[in-house]
Amino acid sequence: MHRVLQQPFKTAVLILVWGWLLLLVLTPNLLVVGASVMTRDPGTFLSLPLNLDSYRQLFDPLYLDVFLNSLYMAGMTTVFCLLIGYPFAWALSGLGKQRQTLLIFLLIVPFWTNSLVRTYALKLLLATNGLINNALLGLGLIDEPLRMLYTEGAVVIGLVYLLLPFMILPLYSVFDDLRKELLMASHDLGAGKLSTFLHVTIPLTLPGVLAGVMLVLLPAMGLFFVADILGGSRNLLVGNVIKNQFLDARDWPFGAAASILLTVAMAVLLFAHRLSQRRLGDEARA
Amino acid sequence: MNRWLPKTYLTLVYVLLYLPILVLVVFSFNSSRTGYRWGGLSLQWYESLFNNHAMVQAMWNSLWLALTAATISTIIGALTALALHRYRFRGKRVLRGMLFVVMMSPEIVLAISLLALFLLVGLQLGFISLLLAHVTFCLPFVVITVMARLSGFDESLPEAARDLGASDFTMTRTVLIPVIMPALLAGWLLGFTLSLDDVVVSTFVSGPSYEILPLRIYSMVRVGLKPEVNALGTLLLVFSLAMLMLSQWILTRSKR
Amino acid sequence: MKKLALAGLLAATLTGCSSQEEPQVLNLYNWSEYMPQEVLDRFEEETGIQVVYTTYDSNEAMYARLKLLDESGQYDLALPSTYYVNKMRKEGLLEKINHEKLEGFEKLDPELVNLEIDPDNQYSVPYLWGTTGLAYDASDVEGNEVKAWADLWDDKYEGRVMLTNDMREVFHIGLRVLGHSGNSTDPEEIKAAYEKLTELMPSVRTFNSDAPRMPYLEGETDIGMIWNGEAVMGEEDMPSLEYVYPEEGIIVWLDSFVIPKNAENAEAAHQFISFVMRPEISALISEDIGYATPNLAARELLSDEVANDRTSYPTPEDLTNAEFQKDVGDDAMQVYTRYWEMLKSGQ
Repeated sequence: MHRVLQQPFKTAVLILVWGWLLLLVLTPNLLVVGASVMTRDPGTFLSLPLNLDSYRQLFDPLYLDVFLNSLYMAGMTTVFCLLIGYPFAWALSGLGKQRQTLLIFLLIVPFWTNSLVRTYALKLLLATNGLINNALLGLGLIDEPLRMLYTEGAVVIGLVYLLLPFMILPLYSVFDDLRKELLMASHDLGAGKLSTFLHVTIPLTLPGVLAGVMLVLLPAMGLFFVADILGGSRNLLVGNVIKNQFLDARDWPFGAAASILLTVAMAVLLFAHRLSQRRLGDEARA
Repeated sequence: MNRWLPKTYLTLVYVLLYLPILVLVVFSFNSSRTGYRWGGLSLQWYESLFNNHAMVQAMWNSLWLALTAATISTIIGALTALALHRYRFRGKRVLRGMLFVVMMSPEIVLAISLLALFLLVGLQLGFISLLLAHVTFCLPFVVITVMARLSGFDESLPEAARDLGASDFTMTRTVLIPVIMPALLAGWLLGFTLSLDDVVVSTFVSGPSYEILPLRIYSMVRVGLKPEVNALGTLLLVFSLAMLMLSQWILTRSKR
Repeated sequence: MKKLALAGLLAATLTGCSSQEEPQVLNLYNWSEYMPQEVLDRFEEETGIQVVYTTYDSNEAMYARLKLLDESGQYDLALPSTYYVNKMRKEGLLEKINHEKLEGFEKLDPELVNLEIDPDNQYSVPYLWGTTGLAYDASDVEGNEVKAWADLWDDKYEGRVMLTNDMREVFHIGLRVLGHSGNSTDPEEIKAAYEKLTELMPSVRTFNSDAPRMPYLEGETDIGMIWNGEAVMGEEDMPSLEYVYPEEGIIVWLDSFVIPKNAENAEAAHQFISFVMRPEISALISEDIGYATPNLAARELLSDEVANDRTSYPTPEDLTNAEFQKDVGDDAMQVYTRYWEMLKSGQ
């Protein structure tokens, strides 16, 4: 009590932030867990008895297919982001400091622009009568317009476009640290370029890669509006399934269970990220 | 290695990143109604945008929401960052961990959990529910921004202040706040933009009494190609560009 | 607990303040592009009541949203299709219509009032009726004439078919192709329709109920379903868009105004319904968005071009085999919902 009085400011701040997080993060998430084990009710959304039916439903071959497909699309998105982002971050970190600042700024600008509007802009390009088809037809490269819009490919393109900066930024920050010190050292010790890349660069950038993967893979499964706009309103992503359960089909337990699946995926990725950081820390000490 | 290869590659990626935006801006001045053909220069879509009652109302609603959400999250976030930086307390790691998890969670998970909460306590979906949700997802970003600033800050200053007999509160107000001011502004701007852009969370926790811009845009975009969307997108781009330049300017100026 | 109470208090005061100062507002929850802006403008000009128009793209989404808002009365008017009028009425989600406050109800087509879904129209007032039929782009679809729903299953249309994002309508065509009623409640028949529809899925490019004409205009799809009003609007921009009454029978529906429970501004809702029922307004709506008005006085005001447009106003022959959408009951709805989810999730 004495200490509380001594530090009223500290106490007040802690109560405020803990209160906020408990009330608006922890409680709601517990509610979702609760909802996932209840029974669907057409009138009140949820009712007793408690059961695990909705989890069983998750493993119904049909929905399992949706999840696997969603994971596949998110995986493709992540792979493309990594393939584009890794060399990008490396090239960026090799430039002069002032240029780096400018280019990072240019990278963030789209991220600060409304994501719906950017998704819509892609539609202008990908549509059958869109600009890409018009350009290709005009150049005589194709005879028939390509059907790109409302395909899974279009959704992946949209996701890569929206999420690329989230892959590049963590990668850039590890490359930036790494570039000067370690590469030089290993080079001095006579290691070849390829060997430096395989044994030094890749392991040292692993935490950045994992951070990037985390920042891309999870949202890629949830961004339902990208699938709606570019994928033709089919249930292509887990996000679409979850949204439908809450805003259309009214099967809350199932929607809650699907969302818990995403949370579990996040936990696994967070764990992997921590592990890689710790291993790196150990190696640095050794 | 070839000096030009990395540069060419960077340029290529930037072209791809900016191509859709460029197309959007150019087409916002296109007088042709049907999508893809160029029909001459025109400002008619901007005009019809501002003549649209509901759209203008949604714009104001969104701005007000972003303003309040960013302000509240900056206040709570800055205080939290200070507490994490200055004090030892039980559960500090848990608090950090929780903020990190909130930042990492897919938005849709946050969205449905908040929806469940609001329905349970009987909170009417509208401005308040949107505000609570937006502050929640902005909060960790502000904390991180402010923490980053604090970690590069000389510890002797607050100690000197305390030696001179200043209370915690006075010390915070007179010494710490001025130091973290740039981070506060940057965090505020980030929160403002995040709130203005959010579709996923707002889809779930908004009600008809408080319609906001992203949801208006969503229903327009779903109908099909609409030139008004191009115009609106261009305006939003200019707006966020100005905000971003402002935040960069504040951050770089403070470094000197 | 204290915090909760405080938050509640804050919420109460804040929402309380905001609603008092603003001008009168009518919250209209409606399908996308289902009411000309001119009508809203004229209503506001005349009454000073501002109409806030928010949209949905399916009865299910509208119903789920209203349930979610839990009788908080945030919407003053909505426009469910027939079968949802019945469902919502039975579940007590609707406010009774006060017929003394309405003007012009007697001008409505006697065949479209006092239906089974809502005897004596205690809860609903018909707005527009229409059909869901086949559309194709004559400049892109070659070969034999398109005549029947079954033609959609032709392999040559792979990746070119559009369906509405509407559970009952999509199942309706599946059921009709198999020779069942589009209002079937038999789980076996629904399952068979689901299986038939899964064969169609590889051809389906997109589902769209926000503006079903757009995928045709944008060149994404060449054949599929469309609402008649959308077909009329689409033909203006693309003359090659044809509307067909399929052999198996077209889908006929009716959308009605309803006032959700506890609507804040039921008074304005009544005013708006009366406004729309004025013959000149009803005629304007029908001419502008291409659906058929149930208002007989308005039909006399229509230009010949619109009145004789078979797309908007079908002839008796067009309606051979046509079926009017009916409420199938909650049990059958659950069966439909399950298969619908499966259909849209299938690859």
